Amino acid sequence: MTMLKIDQVSRTFPARHGHAPTRALEPTDLSVGNNDFVTILGPSGCGKSTLLRIIAGLDQPTSGRVTLDGLEVTGPGADRGMVFQSYTLFPWLTVRENIAFGLRERGVSEADRGKIADGFIHRVGLTGFENHWPKQLSGGMQQRTAIARALANDPKILLLDEPFGALDNQTRMLMQEMLLGIWERDQKTVLFVTHDIEEAIFLGNRVIVMSARPGRIKAEIVIDLPHPRSYKIKTAPEFVRLKERLVEEIRTEALKVAAHA
Amino acid sequence: MRPLAPVTSKQRAAYGFAFFVLFVALWAWATFGGHVSKTFLANPLTMLQEGWELLTKHGFLFDIAMTIWRVVGGFVLAAIIAVPTGVLMGAYKPIEAFLEPFVSFARYLPASAFIPLLILWAGIGELQKLLVIFIGSVFQIILMVAVTVGSTRRDLVEAAYTLGASDRGIIGRVLLPSSAPEIAEILRLVLGWAWTYVIVAELIGSSSGIGHMITDSQALLNTGQIIFGIIVIGLIGLVSDFLFKAFNAWLFPWKLA
Repeated sequence: MTMLKIDQVSRTFPARHGHAPTRALEPTDLSVGNNDFVTILGPSGCGKSTLLRIIAGLDQPTSGRVTLDGLEVTGPGADRGMVFQSYTLFPWLTVRENIAFGLRERGVSEADRGKIADGFIHRVGLTGFENHWPKQLSGGMQQRTAIARALANDPKILLLDEPFGALDNQTRMLMQEMLLGIWERDQKTVLFVTHDIEEAIFLGNRVIVMSARPGRIKAEIVIDLPHPRSYKIKTAPEFVRLKERLVEEIRTEALKVAAHA
Repeated sequence: MRPLAPVTSKQRAAYGFAFFVLFVALWAWATFGGHVSKTFLANPLTMLQEGWELLTKHGFLFDIAMTIWRVVGGFVLAAIIAVPTGVLMGAYKPIEAFLEPFVSFARYLPASAFIPLLILWAGIGELQKLLVIFIGSVFQIILMVAVTVGSTRRDLVEAAYTLGASDRGIIGRVLLPSSAPEIAEILRLVLGWAWTYVIVAELIGSSSGIGHMITDSQALLNTGQIIFGIIVIGLIGLVSDFLFKAFNAWLFPWKLA
């Protein structure tokens, strides 16, 4: 049973050049249970990426603690897979080698690595591109490889930081369906950060709405739309109702950010 | 011509060759036309004759081989020490803080100014020549490699950490492969500089090498031989540069894909 517990986690960036310290994240509590799919929704500057980076161990909280299955997070590790918004495939490795990177670090034999990597290549629909360099792939294909690379490690929780943020709208919708398909089939604990309202509703079982300046959790909305979900659900009345509600929540936050900018 | 508009590879080669032709034509005009005295500048034909004589009668091939061996020897020694040092400096900030100020200082020490000292310490043998090249190259390589490794994309390092990489894994499987093409470019660049050091080293206290031939020819006012020597250096540089580039392209196909 995977259980991620965020306990009074806050993050303050120290003062620089005479500016006051930035409170990026107010003390925050959040629990994510086994095979839950939680989306964190908020405008830019609400600390949602900071929170995710703290969970990944790439940033240290100023106060509070993060525990995964009772063990405190002190640094990055293979039990928390991460997909970044920027393209972070290793440009010197092929698609297959990229996907097998984590397995190699863990000392999995070459034969097993190939088998596992090929399975994920198939699952994210990259068959035929195994031996391509990242440079030769479109943005969507690069992010599919990045998702496969994180999943191949079989992490307890998958952290995604606006992974489809740089993609065009059509590609983004296909990627959402692909990711949801994998989750519906394989079950995985997922924490997904986004600023796209539709994306947050379509993917999540719960949407955590964050407020800006200072960043904190403002609302939590349960999405009780049935699975498997198809893209058609995006025009269903329940979906639209949820969207209307979230648009209002986010709009006040976005206005706050704009007033400060 | 429009700004940044590309040229075909055929055009590129033709333009590049055209300048060589223009250069030799100007030279021929200045010398054959009597605009420059023979004492100061030999004409292209005399240069070729002198060059042929050098190769056939004065064993110039041996000089060329000696010079190449000195450059390569000193350069390889420098690279063996400098690349790992630079990688460690780039990867570990305390090591960088420890070595960087000294290396930055040492980088500006002119290798040629060490020649009198090196003759005192190492005599006028091969070791002294290798040391000149070594001193001229090693600090440059260290510093440039350190900067390259230090500027590895942070997001790639973070991605590797979230995939379970250890600190050793980060160096061996992220920092090194990501910097390798640039390190190869640095080596190509510094090898070019090493050629200037070797000639200076051979001008003083040497009994063989292209630089030695040039000093000998100076005593005889044989400008044809001097120019031939200089051109040979240029040609070897051109060839080694081409080989280095081709080797890098073969080594790092992902860079060109």
